[in-house]
Amino acid sequence: MKNEILRFEDVTLTYHTRRGETTAADGLTFSVREGEFVAIIGPSGCGKTTLLSLAAGLLVPSSGKVTRHGSCGYMLQKDELFPWRTIEKNIFLPLEIKRQNTPERREKALGLAGKYGLADFLQSYPPQLSGGMRQRAALIRTLATEPDILLLDEPFSALDYQTRLNVCEDVSSIILGEKKTAILITHDISEAISLADRIIVLTKRPARVAFEHELDFGLEKRPIKRREQRQFSRWFEVLWKELNA
Amino acid sequence: MKNGFSEEHRKYLARGKRKLALVWVLRIGILALLLGIWEAVTELGWVDPFLTSSPSRICKTIASLYLDGSLFYHIGVTLLETIVGFVIAVVLGCIVALALWWSDTLKRVLEPYIVVLNALPKIALGPLIIIWFGTGSEAIVFMTVLVGIIVATLHMLTAFMETDNNKVLLLRSMGASKLQILKKLVIPSSLPAFISMLKVNVGMAWIGSIMGEYIVSRAGLGYLIVYGGQVFKLDLVMSATCILCVLAAGMYFLVVLLEKLIVKDAKS
Repeated sequence: MKNEILRFEDVTLTYHTRRGETTAADGLTFSVREGEFVAIIGPSGCGKTTLLSLAAGLLVPSSGKVTRHGSCGYMLQKDELFPWRTIEKNIFLPLEIKRQNTPERREKALGLAGKYGLADFLQSYPPQLSGGMRQRAALIRTLATEPDILLLDEPFSALDYQTRLNVCEDVSSIILGEKKTAILITHDISEAISLADRIIVLTKRPARVAFEHELDFGLEKRPIKRREQRQFSRWFEVLWKELNA
Repeated sequence: MKNGFSEEHRKYLARGKRKLALVWVLRIGILALLLGIWEAVTELGWVDPFLTSSPSRICKTIASLYLDGSLFYHIGVTLLETIVGFVIAVVLGCIVALALWWSDTLKRVLEPYIVVLNALPKIALGPLIIIWFGTGSEAIVFMTVLVGIIVATLHMLTAFMETDNNKVLLLRSMGASKLQILKKLVIPSSLPAFISMLKVNVGMAWIGSIMGEYIVSRAGLGYLIVYGGQVFKLDLVMSATCILCVLAAGMYFLVVLLEKLIVKDAKS
């Protein structure tokens, strides 16, 4: 059993606005092991994004405890590349922010970009790239600071179906290649099944862990291949029922 | 296939060129037509040039102003007041907008003051300005700043506040400080709004300086217009107005030029 890298212990979070308060998470308990790919699915508006913000330390829980060993990188729904920066400058952005903009770090980040097919686009501006390429650049930007955990907030939902399958494939292979721990938030059941080692199903707001499943695809990690396997539709049915329970 | 383009593409380019030429011919044509009619009706005695002036009389007036050496003096006075007022208004406006973006409390405290100052017709402060700043250029520069600063502040504050929240979230997830968010995201993403604010404020600066010269002045184009009106020299009024048109257009195009430079800079 590998080490726990992230742990939520009885985490409750309440949002306060002038109109009132909303409990977004209530007694949330789960953990993620090193090297694991965990997908979290739940009905829309159940506070999935809140959960990532808690994991990233952007929000402090009202009660309970979030323990994280290591740094994390956040990847959002849209690529959020800055249009006034070249792809290269975009990839260096987290290095600048974290004041790690050293030649070695830049070299490493460029190495990643080259390895995953962005070498020819480094001097281009984001609007000149296709949606899939931009999302790939966003992932390399996230990886530039070498985070231990990747937090993926529906990173494919803004793409069209064809691109989505391709980018899903890319992201999966990059994450496997770099041996990263990843937490994927999504409302897309088939995406969760095709990518994850483990799936956590949340309840309606306030979010709580409803079900947890260890997937049985063995060593098959490629999303496209998984979609062809017999377990795929079985898992789909199980999760669909749980989400609509 | 000549010069790498297909026949169809060359036809398309040619159509574009013809259209551009037509637009320019019509633009200049309209101006020439208006000036011609103006000149003709005064020349034929259909309207009294004493009331409407005429293009030829305007040319003569400008020439005589040039000969007695006062043309560039008046232009210089107004231009200096306008530019100094414009620059001060833009710089101060941006600084205030930054402060308001930085502190939500400050923004909420000052909001009603800004709203009232924005709605207040600045010309109402004319007598105060004369008493505080005298009758020199300082008073006019102050008026120009007053007219421009609120517009600059509100325009830039809106731009700062419209910064994409997801991009802010992204930077925060990287551990960015507020100063870093400002430098890396808020300021660069507000650059287009800055340019459009400059364009609006060119107009504001001219309103401020001419209004200032109406209230109190001994020189400048606004002074010439008021003086010409008082002594019924409509030629002088029209001449000064024409010069103003040219100057205002010139200043606007300088901003457009700046825009091209900055945009090019961002892409190089």
